[in-house]
Amino acid sequence: MWRAVLAAFALLLTLVVGAGGQTPTLTVYTGRGQAFVEPAVREFERDTGIRVQVRFGRDAELLAALQEEGARSPADIYWANTSGALGAAVQAGLLNPLPEALARRPVAFVPRHRRWLPLTVRLRVLAYSPARVKPEELPGSVLQLPHNPRWRGRIGWTPPYSSFQDFITAMRVMHGEARTRAWLEAMKALEPKAYTSNPPMIEAVRAGEIDLALTNHYYVARFVRLGYPVAAYHFAPGDVGSLALVTGAGILRTTRNPAAAARFLEFLLGQRIQQFWASEHLEYPVVRGVILSPALLPFDQAIRRSPRLDFEALRDLEGTLRLLREVGVL
Amino acid sequence: MQAAVREVSARKPLPWLLPLPAVLVGAGIFVPLVYLLLRALEADPSTLREVVLSSRNALLLRNTLLLAGGTVVGTALLAFLLALLDVRSDLPPLLTGLVGTLPLAIPEYVGAYAFLAATGPGGTLETLLGIRVPRPGGYWGAVLVLSLFLYPYAFLNLRTALRGVDPSLEESARSLGYGPWAAFARAVLPQLKPALSAGGLLVGIHALADFASVGLLRYETFSYAIYLQYSAAFERTYAAWLALLLIGLVAGMLWTEARVVRGVRVARTGVGAQRVFRRATLGPWRWAAYGYVLALGFTSIGVPVVVLAHWMLRGPGGEAGMAGALAGTLRLAVPTALSAVVLALPIAYWSVRYPSPASAAAERVAYFGYATPPLAFALAVIFFTLRTTPALYQTLPLLIGAASLHFLSEAIGPIRAGLYQAPPHLEEAARSLGYGPVSAFLRVTFPLLRTGLLAGFALVFLSVAKDLALTTLLSPPGYTTLAVRVWGYASDAMFERAAPHGLAMIGLGVAAVGVLIRIERR
Repeated sequence: MWRAVLAAFALLLTLVVGAGGQTPTLTVYTGRGQAFVEPAVREFERDTGIRVQVRFGRDAELLAALQEEGARSPADIYWANTSGALGAAVQAGLLNPLPEALARRPVAFVPRHRRWLPLTVRLRVLAYSPARVKPEELPGSVLQLPHNPRWRGRIGWTPPYSSFQDFITAMRVMHGEARTRAWLEAMKALEPKAYTSNPPMIEAVRAGEIDLALTNHYYVARFVRLGYPVAAYHFAPGDVGSLALVTGAGILRTTRNPAAAARFLEFLLGQRIQQFWASEHLEYPVVRGVILSPALLPFDQAIRRSPRLDFEALRDLEGTLRLLREVGVL
Repeated sequence: MQAAVREVSARKPLPWLLPLPAVLVGAGIFVPLVYLLLRALEADPSTLREVVLSSRNALLLRNTLLLAGGTVVGTALLAFLLALLDVRSDLPPLLTGLVGTLPLAIPEYVGAYAFLAATGPGGTLETLLGIRVPRPGGYWGAVLVLSLFLYPYAFLNLRTALRGVDPSLEESARSLGYGPWAAFARAVLPQLKPALSAGGLLVGIHALADFASVGLLRYETFSYAIYLQYSAAFERTYAAWLALLLIGLVAGMLWTEARVVRGVRVARTGVGAQRVFRRATLGPWRWAAYGYVLALGFTSIGVPVVVLAHWMLRGPGGEAGMAGALAGTLRLAVPTALSAVVLALPIAYWSVRYPSPASAAAERVAYFGYATPPLAFALAVIFFTLRTTPALYQTLPLLIGAASLHFLSEAIGPIRAGLYQAPPHLEEAARSLGYGPVSAFLRVTFPLLRTGLLAGFALVFLSVAKDLALTTLLSPPGYTTLAVRVWGYASDAMFERAAPHGLAMIGLGVAAVGVLIRIERR
């Protein structure tokens, strides 16, 4: 009798543990927005039966939380908005190297140490009004932009916005502190209009308040989708004005589920999710075979547009903020 | 006999439990502010001088004062004419009442965004109606937009005051030989002074607190600078100092308002019921009056709704996450409004039934909490919890607690009005029939208070549903409300997704305003 009860209990235990083993749970910390993350997570859960818990926050905030939690962190994946934040996570020793097969999926932007993978790419562009500006009038390099007095008072920029600051950091990395300062001073002499965020700036291009605006490609594409008379001008390939802002994710050292975590990243790099992000959010994919909106560049051009640099170097935000304050644009 | 009963009740000792909630509220408001001060004082003196006495702060101070002043004047002008038409003309009061209150349902930042999208060449107004309107921007743009969405605060105060004015005063002035305008200016205008200053104070409080619309319109103020410091995580000490300076400004404003109203007596002293005004027939001016009311309603309510609807129709449509955001708003706004009402009730009861300097001080403390700009208060709460109870940091209960402390002052007014309508001798009669103090209150006074409590609930609910500042800084990671979604999507240029959230938020606001209008018309 006792033996039967024990056996039944053991069976039950096996079932429970077994069931627990069959549906592992992943914990993802992400700096990306809910509208971007949630549909992908839902698809992943439906396809694999793996439950995913997501904690949203800012890149830096989550990084601080991960460091605070240390070895006890429940997180398996860190999914950031910027390569600078991923670089900081690598430097803090939070990320594990990824399997080589997985690292071969994206066609570009994979760091040599393979501790994180790119998921989407955004390009810095110059938004302009096609009614008032011909693209031939625009310079090949953003460095020449302040040299044309015609744009006095007609350019918009967003000094408080993180992508603008990444762009300035990249300029410092590529061209040095002195040239970046000179560029900022020359721009300032042109009396650009400063905006807090990108959408009101692009509204201002539409409404004729300004003719040009330094922004990210997807803002322009989203306005184009709504029928606005604005367009994106791409500076020459390799120019810092065409900087790629790489978003990506890595597997944390604290993971208890490396296999499920790798499966999650593989899923995010799959056709379906890459296509969803390209059509809904108008960001560039990092794998081939995705159909792109006509408001975007063709994939091969887009992926080669950006200057090659150490994208993790974009983590030196402090230096950029100091420079922006010294020049007086922030 | 009735007077004698009141005498007795006034001399009755104060139940010792009654001031307790007020003490808790005071502690909840002031203790975090102490931590804000401590955090600010952590800076070393040399950088401190640099940070606090910078020329940029002088500019921010100038901008903030100009904006608050301009908006107070702007709302007073818009609301005065509307309130006058509402109380003294033969326009349908339902129309003027709706135009006077409905803009409360529209958050200023949604209004500001809508105006930017609607105006200028190629704007929504030109696309749909063929009207090209110049774009608002800078100082005048900020004053215009804030005035268009804040004038209800001035309107509600002015309307109440205008209704309370005894017509016999004006008639006496006429009989002494003054013309109709002069009589109005001499006999009526002075009586509106307290209402103008109370409404102006409310408008000023909101103008100081706004960071989102002024940012959109490219006009920098203290609140905007705090938001910038916080959102880019630049410099927390600087943010703390900016918050302290802003609170100082608010304290100054409260003090000025108290001085303006001091010594003004507008109560009727005669006996008997007050006569009602004869409403003026406007004649041919009727059309001009209609034009004004409809134009005001169109700009403050129509434009935002049209722009949101237009966005929604232009986009691919379908918004999956909206139920979650709506639930987030309700899970925050309902408990907050409830606890604000629960905290406001004893404070109002204390000040109505046992008036004393202490009870007046309790009300003023609650009002100070309300006047403290939410960004500054949220920063204070963050510093406080991180130092004392880090486990509470970024939890929903903390957000609800902070929001009820901040908004509870809105509930005191209507509850107080309700208490005046529930005379104490009713409760005493119940006591004499053997009921205890609490059950006497619950059986007799509470039912009479229902509308006051409901109005208080609706007011707080409305403010919390629109709130961006407290929610952004204090909510648990990933917690979303309609307001957070609208702001987030709009900042990402995903207007077709922002639109349904914005319309849902306006819908909730309209429901709350509808409750208020119904109570008011009863």
